[in-house]
Amino acid sequence: MIELKNVTKTFHQKDRIVSALDDVSLKVPPGKIFGVIGTSGAGKSTLIRCVNLLERPTSGEIIVDGKALMQLSNAELATERRQIGMIFQHFNLLSSRTVFDNVAFPLELVGTPKAAIKTRVLELLQLVGLAEKANDYPASLSGGQKQRVAIARTLANNPKVLLCDEATSALDPATTRSILNLLKDINRRLNITVLLITHQMEVVKSICDEVAVISHGKLIEQGSVGEIFADPKHELTKEFIASSLHLEIPDVYQEKLQKADNGSLNPLLKLEMTGKSVNEPVISEVSRLFDTNFKIVSAQMDQAGDVNFGVMLIELSGKRENYDAAIQYFISKHIKTEIIGYV
Amino acid sequence: MSDSIIALLLNGTWETIVMTFVSGFFGFLIGLPTGVLLFLTRKNQILDQPVLNRTLSVIVNVFRSIPFIILIVWMIPFTRAIVGTSIGVSAALVPLSIGAAPFIARLVENSLLGLPSGLIEAARALGATPLQIVYKVLLPEALPSLINAASITLITLVGYSAMGGAVGAGGLGQVGYQYGYIGYDAVTMNSVLALLVILVFLIQFIGDRLSKHFDHR
Repeated sequence: MIELKNVTKTFHQKDRIVSALDDVSLKVPPGKIFGVIGTSGAGKSTLIRCVNLLERPTSGEIIVDGKALMQLSNAELATERRQIGMIFQHFNLLSSRTVFDNVAFPLELVGTPKAAIKTRVLELLQLVGLAEKANDYPASLSGGQKQRVAIARTLANNPKVLLCDEATSALDPATTRSILNLLKDINRRLNITVLLITHQMEVVKSICDEVAVISHGKLIEQGSVGEIFADPKHELTKEFIASSLHLEIPDVYQEKLQKADNGSLNPLLKLEMTGKSVNEPVISEVSRLFDTNFKIVSAQMDQAGDVNFGVMLIELSGKRENYDAAIQYFISKHIKTEIIGYV
Repeated sequence: MSDSIIALLLNGTWETIVMTFVSGFFGFLIGLPTGVLLFLTRKNQILDQPVLNRTLSVIVNVFRSIPFIILIVWMIPFTRAIVGTSIGVSAALVPLSIGAAPFIARLVENSLLGLPSGLIEAARALGATPLQIVYKVLLPEALPSLINAASITLITLVGYSAMGGAVGAGGLGQVGYQYGYIGYDAVTMNSVLALLVILVFLIQFIGDRLSKHFDHR
């Protein structure tokens, strides 16, 4: 549905040339949600702006729904852009218009009759759950509500494609989740292909089918979310995955944590399950095989695509002579195991 | 104060109001599109025409640097050609409008520069043409600040029209000049001052109220 072929974008800054995108190629299949993740300054904003030519690439090809956008005239491009929805980090609603009139804006642009606008706008506000706010001005809405209005506005033209430019970066975690659910819902119900950029692995994990990692204007890794989480190749990808899993040792444990075993302490283990880890109920197996017990201190497990991954902090007890064998067993199942200390 | 002086003051006030608002209107008629064009042709804006932008900018700067009293005199042949005379209220309207236009253009450009750039981006992404961006996004969004620009302009025009009074433009300026400066009539001169102050306060007050009314940010 969206295809970028060898897209390059360079900027002239004073006397030096800055390369924002370097030979970027990607393909988003129809009906899928594709995420591009990168740190700030990696070029992801330029990348998404190139898709609807808000930013004109220096070279390369952009094909959306079978049309090569770079070849279109300005007027044709304006028409084509109506098929490509876009939402932004800072919502970009018109402050002089009410919620209703903001959603009506794209319909006015194409000269839709008043009565038709009214039906369509109310239908869209219903879809995003803001029907009762129709006559309010954006200034009185929360961030999440503003983004919902922006989504309704961009859906007004029935786009086939939706571009999301850091759409949840200015929102709190709970609101982020509700907006992501809405996007997923729109993707499924209206069969709209979504391309999103983000710096949050959360976003990729919760709604994307495919992901690409961008660094210094280059796509360094791409594939299905399951594949990437299972077997990240690049250091940066690993960092992004790790950043979505943060596990801290609780204070009570931190206080009594010893570096060495004095013969009566229990080891505190950190287990990291990645996509490579064997998909078996390993913990209860170890418990049975080696006559040991586990106390889960804290854990964060998650599912991305068909891959189960996460980290777990456990206190090992039971038959002391079997501790080493138990740890070896974890390692043999490709679970990264580390002894944090003894408690 | 005699009845004839009061009649003179009332007539002068009326003429000043006419000069201020009519030339303000014509000033906006020229200045608003110029200001929008100055904004749109800037580097990285939707029209991005550096040559046109620089040309317009130079013209605006030239007209802004001519002192108003000189502009009136300098424009006399042009004024005669348009309204057929070089004295009176209708003659004053020509240099007042021309004097206000470049000032308004800069104020408009500045108002538009104050808008978040994301608004234009969103409108472009929704398929808006440059003309639609101007009249459906830029002007409505900048309305509160454009109203402020109008108040500033009208107040400046009150001053300009009074200046014009010294060279035959009519209005309160002429009354103050003739009866106050030439005729040493302190009461009339101070009455003129008071009327000008009231006019300026009224313009500012109404402008502020209107601007606030249209501001939903």
